[in-house]
Amino acid sequence: MLKFLAKRLTATVVVIGLISISVFLIFSYLPMDPAALTCGKACNPVVIAANRHRLGLDVSVPVQYGRFVKGLFVDRTWGEGAAKFSCPAPGFGYSFNRHECVTQLIKEAFPVTFSLAIGSFILWMLLGISFGIVAARKQGKWQDKAATAFVVAGVSLPVFVTALLTLLAASKLGLVNPIEFGRWVSPFTDPIGWLKTFYLPWIVLALFSSASYTRFTRSNVIETSSEDYIRTARAKGLSEKVILRKHTLRAALAPLLTLAGIDFAVLLGGAIFTETIFNLPGLGRLSINAVLTDYDLPVILATTMLAATLVVVMNLIVDVLYAYLDPRVRVG
Amino acid sequence: MSGSKMARRHLSRRLIATTAATALMAAGALVGMTSGANAASVQKGGTLYFVTNQQQFNHMDPSRNYTGRDIAFFNSYLYRNLVSYKPVKGSAGSSLVPDLATNTGVPSKAAKVWTFTLRQGITWEDGSAVTCADVQYGVSRAFATDVITDGPQYLVGALNIPLASDGSSVYKGPYKKTGQALYDKAVTCKGNTITFNLNRSFADFNYALTYPAASPVKKSKDSGDKYDLRPYSDGPYKIGAYKLGDELHLVRNTAWKQSSDTVRTPYPDDIVVRFGLSPDVIDQIMLDNSIPNTVDLDSLQPAALRTFFADSSKAGQRLNVFDPYVRYAAINVSPGHLDCLDVRKALFFAYNTQGLIDLSGGSVFYGQPGDNPIKPVLGLDYAPTTGNIHDPAYNINGNPDKAKALLAQAKTSCPATYERATNPDKGLYYDLPKSATQQKASVIIQTAMAAAGIVMKFNFIPPGQYYATVQDVTKQGDLSRAGWGADWANASTVVYPLFVKEGGFDMSQNWNEASYPAYKAAVTAALNMTNRTQQAAAWKKLAQTAMDNYWVISPIFSKGQEVWGSKVGGVYFWEPQGTFGFGQLYVKA
Amino acid sequence: MKPFLEVKNLFVSFPTEDGVVRASDDISFSVSRGETLAVVGESGSGKSVTTLAVMGLHNRKRTNISGHAILNLPTGPVDTISAPEETVRKLRGKSMAMIFQDPMSALHPYYSIGNQITEAWSLYNDGSKADGTKRAIELLDLVGIPGAAKRVEEYPHQFSGGMRQRVMIAMALVNNPSLLIADEPTTALDVTIQSQILQLLRDMQKEFNMAVVLITHDLGVVAEVADRVCVMYAGKIVEQAKIDELYYRPDHPYTLGLLNSIPRVDRGGDQRLQAIPGQPPSLISLPQGCSFRPRCAHSKLVPNNRCATDVPELYEKTEAHGSRCHLTESQLVQIRTSAGGHS
Repeated sequence: MLKFLAKRLTATVVVIGLISISVFLIFSYLPMDPAALTCGKACNPVVIAANRHRLGLDVSVPVQYGRFVKGLFVDRTWGEGAAKFSCPAPGFGYSFNRHECVTQLIKEAFPVTFSLAIGSFILWMLLGISFGIVAARKQGKWQDKAATAFVVAGVSLPVFVTALLTLLAASKLGLVNPIEFGRWVSPFTDPIGWLKTFYLPWIVLALFSSASYTRFTRSNVIETSSEDYIRTARAKGLSEKVILRKHTLRAALAPLLTLAGIDFAVLLGGAIFTETIFNLPGLGRLSINAVLTDYDLPVILATTMLAATLVVVMNLIVDVLYAYLDPRVRVG
Repeated sequence: MSGSKMARRHLSRRLIATTAATALMAAGALVGMTSGANAASVQKGGTLYFVTNQQQFNHMDPSRNYTGRDIAFFNSYLYRNLVSYKPVKGSAGSSLVPDLATNTGVPSKAAKVWTFTLRQGITWEDGSAVTCADVQYGVSRAFATDVITDGPQYLVGALNIPLASDGSSVYKGPYKKTGQALYDKAVTCKGNTITFNLNRSFADFNYALTYPAASPVKKSKDSGDKYDLRPYSDGPYKIGAYKLGDELHLVRNTAWKQSSDTVRTPYPDDIVVRFGLSPDVIDQIMLDNSIPNTVDLDSLQPAALRTFFADSSKAGQRLNVFDPYVRYAAINVSPGHLDCLDVRKALFFAYNTQGLIDLSGGSVFYGQPGDNPIKPVLGLDYAPTTGNIHDPAYNINGNPDKAKALLAQAKTSCPATYERATNPDKGLYYDLPKSATQQKASVIIQTAMAAAGIVMKFNFIPPGQYYATVQDVTKQGDLSRAGWGADWANASTVVYPLFVKEGGFDMSQNWNEASYPAYKAAVTAALNMTNRTQQAAAWKKLAQTAMDNYWVISPIFSKGQEVWGSKVGGVYFWEPQGTFGFGQLYVKA
Repeated sequence: MKPFLEVKNLFVSFPTEDGVVRASDDISFSVSRGETLAVVGESGSGKSVTTLAVMGLHNRKRTNISGHAILNLPTGPVDTISAPEETVRKLRGKSMAMIFQDPMSALHPYYSIGNQITEAWSLYNDGSKADGTKRAIELLDLVGIPGAAKRVEEYPHQFSGGMRQRVMIAMALVNNPSLLIADEPTTALDVTIQSQILQLLRDMQKEFNMAVVLITHDLGVVAEVADRVCVMYAGKIVEQAKIDELYYRPDHPYTLGLLNSIPRVDRGGDQRLQAIPGQPPSLISLPQGCSFRPRCAHSKLVPNNRCATDVPELYEKTEAHGSRCHLTESQLVQIRTSAGGHS
């Protein structure tokens, strides 16, 4: 097990390294020039050159990358003279657009995204799995048809549409104050305010993301129900309740773990549309603004690396958990 | 998500955000301006809200603030300048009044030296006095181009400090302090009197000082790049709390005294700006008037705009006015490009101006064809030109026959350019910022040109670096879409930047033309004029020359729309800033 | 003494989109404790369907079942066809148990075998988990799993096929059932393992004095363990007899065909194995008359083409030997003789 973990962790580090290099290369060769963005009116080559120096883009890409990697481990400074400042390690650089060390930006955005992710994840797993089980048990009945309709709606309606409609409807109904909406408060200082901020995005994200889990659960439960070992369980004299809970669901839901783990990790990387529409200052909005309006390479790099790390690490956790759930894949 | 809305208002003040307001659609009624604050009904107290889809103001650091709306906002609430525009509606708003200074400045030595004396009793938010040294320090920051980006460069260009070989100032700002002694000689303090020594006659220098870049900065509070997050206030409000992308909360600055300020009348107790709201949410708030004490800092999306302007009950909550901008196609007249007047004229007559106006919202919301790079709102400096749209052969939808006739002349007068403009394998290149609207515009342009036998091709450039690209003489095409507005109520901030190489925005590349030295000399002479009437006459003549040379074609005098909630009072359009007069807004009871 | 299980006139059919599948058609048989009844037939002949009906393992909503399957319990007879589902459930695993063809898929892959056996035990026994485990080890020992105490913690995939089937048997026997239905228990196993398992079943039957119903398509298996045999074809019992009777005096051409298709040591080396030509009929659209007629080599011997028109009744030559065939005894003797070696 230890050897397995060590191997996987090494692979994780390599993957993250490769991702950071890719992002670096992509942004170096895109026809975008962050220096031109802050060029202002007197946009002449001298100003652009000064900007490039300010942003640290006046050196070769390998050197830029080297500085970035170094900044992960030791404090990094920018500017000269009285305008000198630094970001402490572990640093992902400095956002000249947001005037803040990227690590600090991530630290501020992550709790928002985590709050969004954990709530909607729990809700969507509960909804998706219970709808799926009901649909499977009532195969062909109205409950099943309702679940199918729900799945079609959930899969075909994009979240930016449903999120927007939900928010507009909720503010129309007076459920939320649109101007106050999306304010981040910590659940530890203001749990009610926290719930108020998140309940709508949770519902939107959960309702429509749970559709695929409904479908998955339904088909897995139906498939598992026809397994020989379910017949064995029945032949033993077990009640249907025990068969469902202990025998069917264990086997039907274990494969969901992989899907759920990755989905959760992706969610932790930032739900771009939901955060943007509900005005939540999380990682998704941080990164989409960095990409679309600011060409803010340090932020893009950090959010991409974080998202990739989350997926890779979650994959590892899922594999370990899966091995725990399914003895057949357990490693010696 | 509206991509264009996210990118809007991101360029420096007078460069038009090329992807912004062009998405408006036709419909609705034109309404006049509402009257300014009526002293009898004004209310003190309450919270005034502003909403925007943007994550932050372009800049909060006064030295970097160069966007009309942001200048007006912060100048009204947080920072004060030596002089200010008069906070009233109409053209009177373009006149200067003293703010920090006791008067609007005293020029001497043919306006090469300007002196200002600070008013007594002006303090920072901690109660300490605003000193001459603070102004001196604030102005010096503009020279630190490695920290202070995006700001106006008028002071850098005008102060009497030598230039290095690459064209930049030898003074590198207060952080590096390279060349500090030279700066300290150019800007001097003697007691409460500050003196600016300029490198030329600058009759309207005091107008340049309306920019926050000329406002004082307290050195001990200067945090370099991070000053953009927390500018220190000497105005009626100060920052209570700020979280980028979330909210800016301004509270009353108790150290500010009304007696020290003749410009600002701070009514609300709290001013809250909410950032990052979805454009659809903003539209709903404004249409439903659900939060009546709200001002929309963005403009509504086309459908919502139409609805809002069609609703007679909202007549007192909207403005549809000419903004400070002229939008036009800059013609690159350098050799090898459009160095042939006949071809340039052919382009002008072939142009389907109405098609482009209709595409962007029609003449009600987008604007009307203009005859001048100087906009009529400049008053003194504008006069209708002759020729161009006043030519009998001009047709707003394009006149292909006239264009063909001009091309026929070009065939003999400049065969090489004619060949390029008409040969399908060659063709002319038009620079456009890449956007859905501009893609459609390109089709309208191409169709109109094809009708006249002109082959038009397009370079679509990412919006974020559009101007950086087309201002590179090696990368500019034959025509470039552009927009410009005067930096203050003097056409010196139009003619000089647009048609003189050193002006910084000369996309006509006209400096190879035989007539250029004479033209430049005339511009320089006009810049140095201290007689305003004489100067105005000079600008009118120089604008006519530019139009006659077809350095720009098809200017459009563009419009902007603003909306606010029913409980916002004191709204007026502050002409020189092209936005609200924020300082007089109040919340109705 | 009454037989432990009496199946009377059992009909099982499934409505499907293509029509009604008549999987068990008027099935009657009985089996007593200590006795082994083999139910033989090709796949799709209705053997499993019949026994699943006895166990109450069909989804009653999707299956039409009529007739009787009476368990003569010490507390009185219970008809598992008509009794409430909950009553039948509580008989499963205790009074009647079942083992299945593929022990790999019939054991839950996620639970240790100890867990699975204990689960069955604790349904009908009060006792701690440790007691259950003790009982599981006891049974694993009994069915011949070496190192049972250790292996009880292991998972199905860690066992060989034969061992898994032993686990299945242990699990079925954990509550001392009176009836054990073994559905093709050796089909998925190697030949050498097959006889070990059959031997085990025989031993266990003695140990627990069970009635055993052994479902198989393999008459060779039947010879080793069964006391009596039912031969099923197309949902019907076409012949039932004591084992010797069936082997030496088969009364149905289908049985004869089956016997001819198995290798036998008592015949010469020049024997030719004969497969029965053709395919079993679809249970949705059975041919008129005798279901076996399309494949039967002897139907021409029956006058008036009766095989094509009349369904043959069960003719009980003796109380213990009956068959459904229009052929007369003398015709059958002739056929048996010509087929060789049976009489």
